[in-house]
Amino acid sequence: MPNAPHWGWYIILYFFIGGLAAGLYFIGTLANLGGDPRDRPVTRFCYLAAFPLVLACGFLLTVDLGKPLRFWHMLIQSERIPLPMLKYWAPMSLGSWVLAIFAIFSGVAFIGALVDSGRLTNDRALRLVAWGRARSRALKLAWWLVGCFCALFFGGYTGVLLVGTNVPLWHNAQLLGAVFLLSAASTAYALLILVLKRRGGRESIVSLRKLEAADRWIIVLELLAIVIMLVTLGRFARPLVTGGFGVLFWIGVIGVGLLFPLLLPHLRLAALTRRPALGATCVLAGGLLLRFVVIMAPQWPNIALWKL
Amino acid sequence: MAKGFYTDTTVCIGCKACQVACHQWNNIPAEESGKRNLTGDSYDNTGRLSALNWRHVKFIEQFPDDRQQDGFLKGSRWLMMSDVCKHCVQAPCLEVCPTGAIIRTEFDSVFIQQDVCNGCRACVSACPFGVVDTGPDGKAHKCTLCYDRLQHGQEPACAQACPTDSIRFGDVDELMAYADQRVANLRAQGIDAYVYGKEDILGGLNSFYVLVDKPNVYGLPENPQMASANVDEGFALSTVAAAAVAVTGIAAFRKHRMDQIAASETEAGAERAKPTDAGSNTG
Repeated sequence: MPNAPHWGWYIILYFFIGGLAAGLYFIGTLANLGGDPRDRPVTRFCYLAAFPLVLACGFLLTVDLGKPLRFWHMLIQSERIPLPMLKYWAPMSLGSWVLAIFAIFSGVAFIGALVDSGRLTNDRALRLVAWGRARSRALKLAWWLVGCFCALFFGGYTGVLLVGTNVPLWHNAQLLGAVFLLSAASTAYALLILVLKRRGGRESIVSLRKLEAADRWIIVLELLAIVIMLVTLGRFARPLVTGGFGVLFWIGVIGVGLLFPLLLPHLRLAALTRRPALGATCVLAGGLLLRFVVIMAPQWPNIALWKL
Repeated sequence: MAKGFYTDTTVCIGCKACQVACHQWNNIPAEESGKRNLTGDSYDNTGRLSALNWRHVKFIEQFPDDRQQDGFLKGSRWLMMSDVCKHCVQAPCLEVCPTGAIIRTEFDSVFIQQDVCNGCRACVSACPFGVVDTGPDGKAHKCTLCYDRLQHGQEPACAQACPTDSIRFGDVDELMAYADQRVANLRAQGIDAYVYGKEDILGGLNSFYVLVDKPNVYGLPENPQMASANVDEGFALSTVAAAAVAVTGIAAFRKHRMDQIAASETEAGAERAKPTDAGSNTG
């Protein structure tokens, strides 16, 4: 049995925020390529939010290191500068590279969204965006596809990173990457629903319907993936599904975070209709709680629950 | 030539000379500045291998519930084992280290370069034996097989200090042959001994043991695996999930777009039809 790696709240938040960033970038691109003009505010919000979240991910990962100033050792061979440091078979190494590459894609989208929203009027930025948009359709499509690939990889690799350890609960949960990716998508949809409902307006109704439809499907798939994961885990699931973490998992993650938002439209309670964004809020809280219980359960009691 | 340890647990007397020698040679400080609480249930007050304990003598006390059974302490056994990094031939910690800080030395030992490690703790969660740990300095630490001593032709401090030769250092092949002979002798005496650390365990352990009970009795895994054993499957299943996310997203956005196109076409059709109808009426 390995010693506890002492991955605490920095990593929990990184997994959660990273999932949101990945989901937002992917949905933003989907709305951009497949949506109608009324979806433009969705794309704009996605791109404006994704890049700062990616930067936050980099910050969280760096401060979590025992030696934060050596963060670049993940990418460059410190003894053979500037040779790259990449172990394609190790999820943490691969993830560091994908984070760096995804930052470029989300950064470019961020600049485009800033220009579109009139927040950035700098000549150089305008020229850069105009240059990018003048490229051929095939090139732009390839750019978006690679960006989406990075986003989807980034959303799921965090789960595979845990699979690539020898902690029994994580090591035997081959579906953890899939669960985290589905959770990344569901929380990103939920955040967008939350924002659009707060903004209100008739314009956003069409987008809202699309987001709600997609989110429902993803939540169903996420539930399915979690059930299969628990069945295949068998006795290894014990730290997750029993005791205090079990209560949080069954009530918080499954009940409040997934089943309640799914059933909410069918519940005709006056108190619930007064809070239109309640379902989305629950999905977001459930997504954070999922990462908390998955990361903390096998490490406890060798780690304090508030450990950063 | 691969160098390593052969630890014969049957002759360990639990003196902890190996632990002391390791601390002294490697200048490892005591945990909590020496203010340790006694475990109260054993002579083992170290508890486990850690960043500050690269050697750990385990005390496994096997007594029947009724200690008077079959006479006083008859059928009882006290196993002792000096645990250490296994310097695995296929080392999970080395496999996952994303910075290249963990390397294999010319002695085939697994070594953490302290000037490269950035404290990501990937190795901590990868080691199935619970050997690697992070210290107060934020970096990962474990037994170095006294790399500095080996470079000067000396044996590791623990092996030199062991008064019963429970810990032997040397060429792994020679040590393994010696261990096999020892197992044969023990079995001839009716003791069910075996070598833990042959090729079936992570390609072989350069630090291996002669044990007389199941591995889990000593806190050792029965079937340790490489950390990456399930990673490919994890990525494959993530790809399926990614496809599902993409399909549901495209369906949601496309469906509404199609509905919208259909609605606008119906609307346009109705508008085109209006003047024609009016014309026919007037005609």
